[in-house]
Amino acid sequence: MITVSNLFKYYHSEINRRPIRVLSDISFQIERGEKLALLGRNGAGKSTLIRLISGIELPTQGSIERNMSVSWPVAQVSGIGSSMTGNDNIRFIARLYRKPFKEVRDYVEDFAQLGKFLSEPVRTYSAGMRSRLSFGLSLAIDFDCFLIDEVVAAGDARFQRRSQEEMFEKRADRALLLASHVPDIIRSHCSRAIVLHHGRAKLFDDLDLAIAIYNDL
Amino acid sequence: MEEEGTLRQLWRGFTIQREVVAALLQFQFVARWGRKNLGFAWLFCESLVFAFPVLAVWHFVRDPYEHGLPMTAFVWSGYMPLLIFRHVTGQALHTITGAVPLLYHRRITPFDLYLGHQGLEAIGNLSAVAFSFIVFYILGLIDLPYNYNILLLGFIYTTWWSMCIGLIVTALASRSEIVHHIWLPISYLYVFFCGFMFMAAWLPFKLREIALMIDPPLQCYEMIRAGLFGNQVQTFYDLSYITFILLTLTFVGLWLIQNVRKHLEL
Repeated sequence: MITVSNLFKYYHSEINRRPIRVLSDISFQIERGEKLALLGRNGAGKSTLIRLISGIELPTQGSIERNMSVSWPVAQVSGIGSSMTGNDNIRFIARLYRKPFKEVRDYVEDFAQLGKFLSEPVRTYSAGMRSRLSFGLSLAIDFDCFLIDEVVAAGDARFQRRSQEEMFEKRADRALLLASHVPDIIRSHCSRAIVLHHGRAKLFDDLDLAIAIYNDL
Repeated sequence: MEEEGTLRQLWRGFTIQREVVAALLQFQFVARWGRKNLGFAWLFCESLVFAFPVLAVWHFVRDPYEHGLPMTAFVWSGYMPLLIFRHVTGQALHTITGAVPLLYHRRITPFDLYLGHQGLEAIGNLSAVAFSFIVFYILGLIDLPYNYNILLLGFIYTTWWSMCIGLIVTALASRSEIVHHIWLPISYLYVFFCGFMFMAAWLPFKLREIALMIDPPLQCYEMIRAGLFGNQVQTFYDLSYITFILLTLTFVGLWLIQNVRKHLEL
């Protein structure tokens, strides 16, 4: 379980002495195996919330308690060094999370379908290819809870089908926090939704209502 | 958390850190030198690419026995520590900002990044010191050191000093923009006061006393030259004083870097 209590996050402003409030008094829980959607317009704080839950940034106030292993934020630019090749990144992450290199490599190779690009520097990848690598790596490491920022909807039809199969069918018992603008994915896979607006969060058990409110924001 | 000894926790933390830093070292190693052309051999060659032209110029424009010292050896003893400092502190402004993707992994702390990044530079440059010495010795440009221990200690203290400054700059750079503007001029001015071009004995008495007190790299240089030239030169260093200064700087650096994640805006 992940327990988020009274979370506040301020960023310092470039032009103003007063810091910018991005998240304000947010509390909720993610149970084991629960699929939670995160809705909000661009700049609403979705990615910030995901970064805080993953523990790579610290909240200004409030606390996050993690009782299961939590992935890094799986997004377009995350967790992989861009001057390094795909293989270098696989080796690094396998080592970092104590997994056998070959196992991780085989999985990512099969999942991300990057072919010979794996021996090219990541900076030469397209945005979709990067997401595939990052997503594939996080699936290979196998966390209890995945934090996913948009990437399920990235890539071509084949990749989308494949990632839904890996994420929602094979890993049905894992928890998931999914930020997405695609109502279909949310409707078919999530059980609850958080809508973020002006730094505040509201939790909905009714997905259709959450999506309707999000569409009206 | 269940009842668990503090020592045990400490040991577990240490094990994780060791694994993370080992992975980072490997990663940075490839990032720094790559697999193309000379690859890993650049580790040694880089320093020579710098050192040879500089030494050649000095060799021809200066009296070969200025201050009664063999010029080439003197310049080598000045230049190599400068390279260590330059390389170890050089990227410190970007240790954190240049590695944002890596910080997406919670297991990697800013201090781990620093150890991987600056540690690799330190190891690389120390190997380059040894390598260039051997090359110079074979070419007959430098004599064997008078006292290996003091020479080695001098280089180790130079590295320690550079690592301290690297740590402090790494930590400050992620907190304040100003550091980015003032660090570059400082690192250029460093050439003039570090001891690259002079020895404590050449300074007037009053100035020497002050310099030895407030200029830690000067003492490191003195050690290196004491080891290299022995009683050909008069050297001034106080091992306990410099150890105390560097320990203090180490703690300042560790204190500054411990909260860096709080200031990060990834």
